Amino acid sequence: MTALLQPIPDSALIERMMAGDEQALATLYDRYAGMLFGMLMRILKDTQLAEEVLQDLFLQLWRESGRFDATRGSLPGWLLVIARNRAISRLRGQHRRAPADDPEGFLLESLPSPGNLEEEAARLQLAERLRRAMATLPGEQREALELAYFEGMTQTEIAERTRAPLGTVKSRVRAAMQTLKQHLQ
Amino acid sequence: MTERHANPEDSDLYALGALDGEEKQAYEAHVRSCAACSQELKAARERVALLALAVDPEAPGPKVKERLMRRVRLEAAGGTPWERRDAGKRRKENPILAGWGWLTPALALTTIFFAAVAGWMGMQDVRDVGRLHAVEGELAQAQQHSFEIARTAAETDKLLSMPGTVRVALKAMPGMPQGRAGVLYNAKMGMVTCAGYLPAAPPKKSYQLWLVPMQGNPVSLRVLPAGEWTQPMTTHVAPGMEAKAFAVTEEPEGGMPQPTGPKVLLGVGE
Repeated sequence: MTALLQPIPDSALIERMMAGDEQALATLYDRYAGMLFGMLMRILKDTQLAEEVLQDLFLQLWRESGRFDATRGSLPGWLLVIARNRAISRLRGQHRRAPADDPEGFLLESLPSPGNLEEEAARLQLAERLRRAMATLPGEQREALELAYFEGMTQTEIAERTRAPLGTVKSRVRAAMQTLKQHLQ
Repeated sequence: MTERHANPEDSDLYALGALDGEEKQAYEAHVRSCAACSQELKAARERVALLALAVDPEAPGPKVKERLMRRVRLEAAGGTPWERRDAGKRRKENPILAGWGWLTPALALTTIFFAAVAGWMGMQDVRDVGRLHAVEGELAQAQQHSFEIARTAAETDKLLSMPGTVRVALKAMPGMPQGRAGVLYNAKMGMVTCAGYLPAAPPKKSYQLWLVPMQGNPVSLRVLPAGEWTQPMTTHVAPGMEAKAFAVTEEPEGGMPQPTGPKVLLGVGE
């Protein structure tokens, strides 16, 4: 009975995808599309664009599932890194600086993938802790962090936008990241 | 000797993609040779990736999943994802076999073409009737092409939704040119859709697609374009004919009533 309630681990779904099982992709889509689409909408603020990036991302997952090594990191971590990079590229246009698809995304270990219900619950708790931590940040720190993460701005661009010295921008980002780190420990 | 490390804030900024200019270059150069800073960067990247979780999840429209799965089903007819990835290394991925993503840009291009022609006609003092006729011809051709695209898309959707539709991956025969194709076939409907890639045919030769029935002679489906990825193409055959296999053979230019040349691609039913 319990076994019926346990979600299929990502690693098993990846293996099934590699064998051509479309339902495995559909399961992963149902599992992560909401999380990814929320972030894509936050960055792109355009439903059609966000849906295009989301669809392309899962197509890439389908075509290149063999690239992902589940023993080295979490699938949602990889998906989030790639999705953000794609969205920032779209946001800033083809000719602007955009982060490349980052192979380090494979190595993310801190984001649990639902191999069981406990891990799924851990992921949800982690998300809640992050939302609370972001809410506690002083306004200027949160602004600097959000301009970098959700708009893909460089430190120089953030300094120009906020009319703050570069050193101040660095300090704000650092302080914000330290606060988040403390909330996550 | 005292080892100097990168500024801690640079790891966060770099992980966010916000470090720029000379600082970025210096940081990258340092991290390549410093294990401690490399480890710090890894931790920073993990923290940065988690920022996405601070955003409330949001459900995409149901059509997104439908479109995704439709594309995947069509691709699946051409082999497993892993096989396709390997094939993709050998040549640039083709947007046609990859799915229906080409349809929107194709229709958009057609629309732009219509608009451009209409605008051109409105602005010009049309004195050359011959030129006008040529433009009208192009317009009709583009319009016909857009109808074909829409029709094939609708037929493929219908085919995918019908019970009994089989998907067959056609793979290159040993020693033959490295092409591949996918076929969707519904015997009850007597409908076949195929898409794929074939390298350029030898001089005065064509590649021809055949349905090999359980009983009787092969049935010619069509001569396939070579040297390019083909758009999905639909062919109708007599309903009720069970297929044993699908094959592409090399034939004299224009095709033959029955296969005479070597098999280039072959795929058997599910």
